[in-house]
Amino acid sequence: MKNSAKDNLKQQVIDQQKCTQCGACVNICPYTEYYEDRIIPLYHCDLQEGSCYDICPGTPTDFKALQSLMFDKQDITSEIGSVKEFCITRSSDQDIRINAQHGGTVSTLISLALSEGVIDAAVLAGEQDVLLPKQTAVTDSSRILEFAKSKFVVSPTVAEFNALASKNEVQKIGVVATPCQALALAKMRLSNDPRIQANIKKLKLVIGLFCGWTFSWEALKKVIDEHVGLKNVLGMDIPPSKYHNLKVFTPTGETDISLDDLMPCINPACNSCIDMTAEFSDISVGSARLKEGWETAKSWNHTLVRTIAGEKLIQTAKSHGLLEFKDVPEGNLEKLKRAALNKKENLE
Amino acid sequence: MNMIVSNKTGETALFMGNEAIARGALEAGVSICAAYPGNPSSDIIKALAEVGPEMGIHVEWSVNEKVALEVAASAAMTGLRGLAAMKQNGLNVASDFLLNLNLSGIRGGLVLVVCDDPGGISSTNEQDSRLFAKMGELPLFEPSTFQEAKDMVVEAFELSEKLELPCLVRSVTRLSHARGNVELGSLSTNEVKPFFDRSKPFINIPSPTNAHKGLRQKFSKCREIFENSPYNYYSGPENPELMLVTSGAGLFYSQDAVRCLDVSKRTGILKVGTTSPLPEQFLSKHLIKTQTIIFVEDGGPFLEGNIRELCAGRPEFSNTKFLGKLTEDLPPVGELTPDLIIDLLCKKLDIEFIPRSAEYSEAVKAAVQNNTPERGSGFCAGCPHRATYWAIKKALIRDGRDGFVLGDIGCYGMGAGPAGYQQMNTMQAMGSGVGIASGMGLLEQFGLDQPVIAVCGDSTFYHGAIPALLNANQHGSNFLLLILDNDATAMTGFQPHPGLGKDAMGRQVPSVKIADICRAIGLEPEIQDPYDLDTTIKTIIRLLREKQGAKVLILKRECALVAVKSKAPAFSISVDAEKCLGDDCGCNRFCTRTFRCPGLIWDAEKKQAQIDQAVCTGCGVCTQICQHQAIISEAS
Repeated sequence: MKNSAKDNLKQQVIDQQKCTQCGACVNICPYTEYYEDRIIPLYHCDLQEGSCYDICPGTPTDFKALQSLMFDKQDITSEIGSVKEFCITRSSDQDIRINAQHGGTVSTLISLALSEGVIDAAVLAGEQDVLLPKQTAVTDSSRILEFAKSKFVVSPTVAEFNALASKNEVQKIGVVATPCQALALAKMRLSNDPRIQANIKKLKLVIGLFCGWTFSWEALKKVIDEHVGLKNVLGMDIPPSKYHNLKVFTPTGETDISLDDLMPCINPACNSCIDMTAEFSDISVGSARLKEGWETAKSWNHTLVRTIAGEKLIQTAKSHGLLEFKDVPEGNLEKLKRAALNKKENLE
Repeated sequence: MNMIVSNKTGETALFMGNEAIARGALEAGVSICAAYPGNPSSDIIKALAEVGPEMGIHVEWSVNEKVALEVAASAAMTGLRGLAAMKQNGLNVASDFLLNLNLSGIRGGLVLVVCDDPGGISSTNEQDSRLFAKMGELPLFEPSTFQEAKDMVVEAFELSEKLELPCLVRSVTRLSHARGNVELGSLSTNEVKPFFDRSKPFINIPSPTNAHKGLRQKFSKCREIFENSPYNYYSGPENPELMLVTSGAGLFYSQDAVRCLDVSKRTGILKVGTTSPLPEQFLSKHLIKTQTIIFVEDGGPFLEGNIRELCAGRPEFSNTKFLGKLTEDLPPVGELTPDLIIDLLCKKLDIEFIPRSAEYSEAVKAAVQNNTPERGSGFCAGCPHRATYWAIKKALIRDGRDGFVLGDIGCYGMGAGPAGYQQMNTMQAMGSGVGIASGMGLLEQFGLDQPVIAVCGDSTFYHGAIPALLNANQHGSNFLLLILDNDATAMTGFQPHPGLGKDAMGRQVPSVKIADICRAIGLEPEIQDPYDLDTTIKTIIRLLREKQGAKVLILKRECALVAVKSKAPAFSISVDAEKCLGDDCGCNRFCTRTFRCPGLIWDAEKKQAQIDQAVCTGCGVCTQICQHQAIISEAS
């Protein structure tokens, strides 16, 4: 008997530790679910063709086809995908910056997209348990700050997109996505499954997040608990690589945990990822690098504008005075490209 | 009228084998009848319970088979007559008492009817209970016909009183469950005033050996009596080419085979109705007539072994060939059929038998395939066990530690198969799931890191799980016991149990709640409705992770078959034709292919799921599993 799509997904992705828990295969059928940082096949499905397999970021992908479908050819770079514009930005609103991980660019753009009607719902990552993200659909821009901080474990965001897109009352969806989630969403554009096609038509905005790797929840929880006690975690950050540590903010201050201690906690799927900058997004955002040093840089973002839709949103933010812009220091783009290329080459 | 209590002596009634046994007890003037249900034996007590009040006798469904035999023995200890009935597994439960009672003896009449289930049609095992008669040196009757089923019970009571020994009557499924003509004897009522004679206690110590001596004497006396039993007879030519030696249902198979092959001039049938102790002289007299003997008996090679033992070393049998299960001329396992005997006779008599043309067989096969729906054993529509196993499966997968389920027999035993999503992993004696869990829950110290779940039904809880749970709590075993409390002994036919507040004869009696027993053991149970899948799943996961020690979750929901008879369905269920996307859904018919409630069917024309309103009980569980909420419920 031939393998079903679900069997292949299990054998080629989940069993090979290539599943990032992005949630793409969840909520398109009842056979798979996300539970506590695991994608679990619950029941046996014998369909040989299945969108679960086709849209998974861990299965073979025709990147060329995706790029030519989504981007202008002249914008495409081999290291970081499409680049229309590379800028350094931050929110003009200090409240947002205080609550955000770095410059608050993502929160500002999502809030703007909602209020301008670019989207009528955004899929964001909140928290359901200590360090465990919870994918949430938000329609009210005033709630954005609840979701502002970075999550260090992948949220099943795409699962929430699948659920949201199948609702009649929602027509325009924005997603804040890690590179793997952005890829899953992009792969939906190539799907010949009418349900997936109908869903993806509603995707109006993807804001990608730069991502080196993420952690596995169980393992991270254990290490954090050993170092500071889970109850004491107010927030976390990973400064530039030369620091080689994870900062944990606690009621009594900051604790640095060496990345050496955390390496075993890295989500094994991240080791097979070649995308650092979330190439299949409209806009990608990460932390900035400035000559002034990390203390200044950490309140700014590197922002890559990739598509016309992205360009439009950035322009609106600019004209409304919602984002502040800073000149990009010479060499930043090259450094970013080198880092991104490094991730690709490390795998190959 | 109920022919079981007919006064028309000499009339013929059409009785199921088990009804004939019940009638025999009434003709013998039985006072107390007790059993724990289990097929193929359950109808005996059912028939007696229906007429209990009218006949002025006590009939009960006891908490388990050992207690049933003890209750029946109480009659025999005071000069009355008592009947206990059980299936083969039940006799194992009762055997500790039986194998003491044989030595201590009794005063009145005690008959233990054991109904074996060759092939395990409705059982978890197959065993030959006749070995208990040999082990206990007890008289054993094996009825072959429906008439004998009745008559032998009367005879067994007489003999029991005469020898002051319990007597066994062994039936098999094909006799217990089939029907045949029985000529009625006269009903008798007990006129004895019970009296417990304190000068003759039933105690085997200080010298069980002396008691054993007494038993041996009774056994020898019984052998003499059996030499002239009318239940043993030979029919056939004076010197047949071969002889079928048979007991129980084997007689029919033997007669069928001889008739089909038309070999009555070449084949004799030696029918033995009293198979322990064997009537040695009677057997020797007939066995000598041939040199080829074939044993036709359901169960193990009981007659075969005992008769070979009898003939061993005797020169007159030195050339006799004994064929049967020991020689594997007949299959040593499974149930006998006439076909097996026919095949063997053809081989030994060198004849050919073609019962029907090959075309006919093919036509029958095709007709069966085309006209009968495929049906494995499964849960009924709305069965709470389906919801329970659905929840267990999801909870164990979510928990992610490869947890497993220890169980036993009852409707919920089908949790081992597709109906219960293959969730149950052990199935032995009643209550054994809890007993095994009591041990399994201690293996963490040796490195077992999988969570342990035990399941048992309500009737099983009372029957055999209480000591195991007590043991578990005493030793701090770490597991979760799910008591699948459906307020019924459903699988065997809805017999009352101690939690239901009524007895076999329909009288109101005190009820004992499972939760109260758990509390008395020292465990505070949680109670949850399994129809609420989400909460059940969460509760199971929480209890599996939360704390050490034994935890009890009572999944309480009345058996759907009981509920549907007593009240209107809670919900009216339907499929929203607009929401159900059928094969376009991508769910691969999740509801009808994976969840599989018989109330949910696939409409091949509309290519959509549909509710079979004739079958649906309105439980509403399926409304929780459709990803598009296409199955809807309205309060009815």
